[in-house]
Amino acid sequence: MRRNSYRPADDVVISLRNVSKQYSKDAPGVIGANLEVREGEFVFITGETGSGKSTLLKMIMRQLRPTDGSIEVLGYDLNRIRHSKISKFRRNIGIVFQDFRLLKDRDVYENVAFAQRILMVPKNQMKHNVTSVLQMVGMADKYKRQVTQLSGGEQQRVALARALVNKPLLLLADEPTGNLDQDTAWEIMQLIDRANRETGTTVLVVTHDRGIVDRMNKRVIEMKRGEIISDTAQEVYSDYEEEQYEYQDVDSDGYDYYED
Amino acid sequence: MRISNIFYAIGQSFRNMAKNKGYTIASIATISACLFMFGLFFSVLFNLRSIMNTAEQGVSVTVFFQEGTTEDEILQLKVAVEERPEVSKVEYVSADQAWESFAQDYLQGYTDGFTENPLADSANLEIYLSDVSKQADLVSYLEGLDQVREVNRSELTADTLSGANTLIMYASVAIIVMLLVVSVFLISNTIAMGITTHWEEISIMKYIGATDLFVRAPYVVEGVMIGLVGTIIPLILMYWLYNKAVEIITGKFSILMNFIQFRSVGEVFHYLLPVSLLLGVGIGFFGSIITVRKHLHV
Repeated sequence: MRRNSYRPADDVVISLRNVSKQYSKDAPGVIGANLEVREGEFVFITGETGSGKSTLLKMIMRQLRPTDGSIEVLGYDLNRIRHSKISKFRRNIGIVFQDFRLLKDRDVYENVAFAQRILMVPKNQMKHNVTSVLQMVGMADKYKRQVTQLSGGEQQRVALARALVNKPLLLLADEPTGNLDQDTAWEIMQLIDRANRETGTTVLVVTHDRGIVDRMNKRVIEMKRGEIISDTAQEVYSDYEEEQYEYQDVDSDGYDYYED
Repeated sequence: MRISNIFYAIGQSFRNMAKNKGYTIASIATISACLFMFGLFFSVLFNLRSIMNTAEQGVSVTVFFQEGTTEDEILQLKVAVEERPEVSKVEYVSADQAWESFAQDYLQGYTDGFTENPLADSANLEIYLSDVSKQADLVSYLEGLDQVREVNRSELTADTLSGANTLIMYASVAIIVMLLVVSVFLISNTIAMGITTHWEEISIMKYIGATDLFVRAPYVVEGVMIGLVGTIIPLILMYWLYNKAVEIITGKFSILMNFIQFRSVGEVFHYLLPVSLLLGVGIGFFGSIITVRKHLHV
């Protein structure tokens, strides 16, 4: 399957300028946020509950509109985007939620294929893409299972597969490990990191789990009471240190997701 | 939209209907009941209308002429009257024919004592109308003519028939409007229920980038399906019932058949079938479109 042809002129995938979102007079969601995310970056947005991180993410996926400022994502001016173009814009984005949001009456394969159906991918191509991405997330052998029979970690793997199957330019994850135990959370984060490293998909993860953020060594944007209070770049390690940073459980699945 | 997506929309619509079995069956049943009533009214009105038309054709205006009006003058007037749009037929009855008919009807043919025609000035024109509501116009036209002595008409018959026609028309329109409103409301509720049940799925579709058409199509197809099934059931029932009813009435009230001629089921369905299908499918389509537009801002 061909990936989206969008290529940012200056590598900037997400650009926020003085973005504010006010729910009501007493409830500011986000205040004057400025942010630039470049192609291929992996960025954490972290902060306490109610700090505005999820509101920021919702504005980036155009679920919410800012009350002030401008947002440009993947070349789309989200302040001016026409309603009919929103679906086209979202086809470039994969989204993962804390509560998985799977179709409970369908099996693993159908949940992932659902995303391909929307893009009208031919059946044979769809089968190949779904199988590949299920292998990548380690769920290929459970493709016939109803999602209600899966553990939380497995459900999130399926949700991640659905988000990745259309080969998005941007992956947005809203507390993807919020409902998972520590080990499973780490596995999911490794999968997301792998998608970022091997495919160049830009990743934005909203989380309040400091443990994961500290362990991952990525760019971290911290929010507090609606404001971005810090933006810490990824630390650069030596080659030796980089080698130590390895993955433990995804190689065995014969990851060939983007071979075609 | 690809063919596979059309099949997907149809498949989804069946899935939705199966999921909301109760509401779907209730909607189909109500539309069926409404369209059955419509069919019933339509069949009765169609036959009534036909009886009225036959009766209308029997309503005539008789024109008598001044003494000394020649047959040629009367025949000239006949041509002029025939050209009027509300007139379907004009018959000339000469004085001799009038006397013969009178003698036959009232004197049982005993005319021996009469040497001359006692109805010498009763040559007349019998005018039949295609539209009885225009009878008054025709009469005032005829009364304005110099040669005309008298115009006999059946005002009561004409007014009754004309009034009944109007009543039938208004009743039909009122029934159709009521049916439309009730059915659209019902379909709308069923579709809204389906949307509520599938809200999670719809929101996932939105995040993945489904177009409005992709999200909405299954619900519109569902509405059309409900409308279609809700039309076919009463039509089949009506077809069977109409023949049965005509058979029973003809058998039990054979004396009525001298006055009433039922229209055949084919004639009734020639109009009832397309109108019912249009109504049923239209109700389903518009009912779902309204609901989808209201509830699915995708």
